[in-house]
Order: sequence, then structure tokens, then C-alpha cells
Amino acid sequence: MSTLEQSPSGSEGRKDPWSQLLQKVGSSQDREAYHKLFEHFGPQIKYYAIANGLASHAEELVQEVFVSIWRRATLYDWRKAAASTWIFTIARNQRIDMLRKMQRTSAEMAMETEDLWQIPGENEDEPVTSLHRLMSERRIRESLSHLPEEQITVIAKVYMEHKSHQVVADELNIPLGTVKSRVRLALNKLKVILQDQNV
Amino acid sequence: MTRHHPDSLSLMDYSAGNLSEPLALCIRLHLDECPECRGRVDMLESLGAVMMEQQPKVAIKEDMFSAILARIDGDDTEADSPDGNVGVAPKITPKQSALQKLLGEDINQLPWKRQLGDVSVLDISDRFPGQRQQVVLQKLAAGGKAPAHTHRGEETTIVLQGAFADQNGVFNQWDYVVLNEEHEHKPVAVGCEDCITLSVLSGPVKLTGTFARMLNPFIR
Repeated sequence: MSTLEQSPSGSEGRKDPWSQLLQKVGSSQDREAYHKLFEHFGPQIKYYAIANGLASHAEELVQEVFVSIWRRATLYDWRKAAASTWIFTIARNQRIDMLRKMQRTSAEMAMETEDLWQIPGENEDEPVTSLHRLMSERRIRESLSHLPEEQITVIAKVYMEHKSHQVVADELNIPLGTVKSRVRLALNKLKVILQDQNV
Repeated sequence: MTRHHPDSLSLMDYSAGNLSEPLALCIRLHLDECPECRGRVDMLESLGAVMMEQQPKVAIKEDMFSAILARIDGDDTEADSPDGNVGVAPKITPKQSALQKLLGEDINQLPWKRQLGDVSVLDISDRFPGQRQQVVLQKLAAGGKAPAHTHRGEETTIVLQGAFADQNGVFNQWDYVVLNEEHEHKPVAVGCEDCITLSVLSGPVKLTGTFARMLNPFIR
């Protein structure tokens, strides 16, 4: 197990080290693997909470996310999502959940957070060949480094600060149309846009 | 197969968790039936993960990990106790859709309010407490026509049952469409089923046809 981090491309194929660790948590409640995930993702999630305006609840959010990771890890399937993607969606859902609880709307709602916000792979029964998804994360990481700063700034605000495109436009003091075209350009380069034109 | 999809910016807002609950529901219902958009959302969620990874990190006190372990140990104790079936098992609902939770088993049996000839509506905004947007179900009887109307602001619609057609095309079950003030349309239910849609409105609908002054079925 100590060799995991050094050999992400060993006999385990394309699984990245974090996905291997997460799978160990799911299959054998491996606490050492769990601790490594905590050390790697905990500080990211704490920043995510602060950027989202939850500074006074940041550690609480980290805790909720990790408890949720432990409880759901048996459902994790590395073929359907990279660990970092899966953990990002857990963090996003816990952030939404926390806000709902603060606004006391969750008690009155028939639907739970996860009825609305998907965790990748969990609503699919078919054994998808999702290598392209793992590849796509790698590709996204690579192509992101080639994007102009102004595009990354906009995307970061959308993902990290929970801001709509309109709010981003107001903050950067640029028209909404400019924000949207920056995002579209970026998504185009990241190959996320498939065929908006034909839709 | 669905043919009308949410655009990339809406999917991005969804993947970032930035949509209101009614709008998230529209996207989710579409995703559940559209592998293509699901793949796009997966990619956008990966983009979110990469963004998170590239931001600054904030140190965490090591004793927090002990606190987390204490919580999950609490789970185990519950699971071991004779009456505790809560346990480690995650709360996964059997495939009862978000829609069934919201509206019950049969959307045809809801207390629909007949508006005029072919149109019935049901305002379900109160099922989304704390939201400012208006959420309405609209039912167009099989073969029926709705009066011509346009929209103030934006109206996001997902087809829950049957299909409707207007000058922009045919919209089948789980198709997703956003209409605004530029779209005047006169939908017709096609096929042999009543067409039921779920719409999230940022502004009231404005009737434009001959019925306009008499009846305003979609106006609140």
C-alpha cells in the first residue's frame, strides 16, 4: 500500500493514486488510505468552504464531507469517476446541504440534496466504459494550463465562489455577454462543448 | 431519445451547484434520461475538481481527523446495536425519482386546475420553500392547443409526459427548453397522451393571442 503513490500506472492500469485509495476505503474500510485522502483533499475543501463564504463553518464542512466520503465509499467505482471528481461533487453537495439547513428549507422539502444534484456514476446501472472520463480529467488539467488567465478567472469564480455568470460580470465590471463568451471559449478548448449550435 | 438539451453554461452552473432548486430539478430530470448530457456534466464536474485542486490549500488541524474517526466509529456502534439498522450503509433511495417524491406516483391524478379548453395548470411553487421563482405544471390535453403567448423574463421547461410542438420544433418527454420574451409560441400537444410540462418562471407569461384579454391561464 505504501507503493501506491509512487506507481499510479502499475498493474492497476489507469487508476490514479487517489482513486486507488478511495477504492480501498470502500472495499476494506482502510483507515490509512482514508487518512491520506484527508491530508490531500481536506485542505482543498477547507479553501472551497472559505471561498464560498462559509469561513466560520469551513472545518465543519470538511468534517461533513469526510464523514460522507466514508459512508458512501462502497458506492465509489473508479471506472465511472476519478476520486477527485467524485470528492468534488460530495463537497458541492455538502455545501448545498449546509446552506439548506441554515435556511431551514431542507425540513420542508420533499426532495433531498442528492435527488437534485448527481454524484457521478451513481445513477447509472450500465457498465460504462468510462476510461474517457478519467482521460478527460487528465486532459482538462493539461488544457487548463493553456487557457488565458481571464478565462480561468471566470471559471474559478463559478466553481469556487458559487457565483452566477451575472454576478461574475458585475464583479469583474464586464458585460454578461463577455463572461459568457469567455466561458464558452474555455469550454470549447476543454472540449466540453459538444454541439450547442445544433441544440 | 431527447433532442433538446440544456446549453453548456446551464450544465456548468449545475455542475458547480449554482442553480436554484427548481432549475436543478429540471436539469436533473433531463440528465437521468440523457447519457450525452450526463457525460458532459461528468466532464464539467472534473473541471470543478481540477479548479479546486489548483486553488490555495488551507491547513487543517490534525486533531480534526480524530474527530472524524470518532464520528464514523459512532456509525459502527449504531450498526452493531440490535435495533440499529442505520449503520454505515449510505442513504440511497431505491429508484424513486425526485419527481415522484415531489408529486407522488401519478401526475395525472394531481388537483389540476382547468383554465380554458385544453389547458390545466398547477402551481407547485410552495413545494420549493425559500425560492423566489414560480414553478408550475402545465397540462395540455392530447391534441389540444394552448393560446399564443410570450414570456417575460425566462421560462425553463422540461417535458414530463407526452410531447408538444410549436414553430420551433417538437418537444418530447425529457426535452429541455428555455423560452424568453423573444419567443412567441402557440404550443400544440402531439401524440395520444396529454402533454405535461414543468416550468420554472422568472417572470409572468404574457398572452398575445385573441384570448389574451379574456383568460390568462399562465399568469399569476
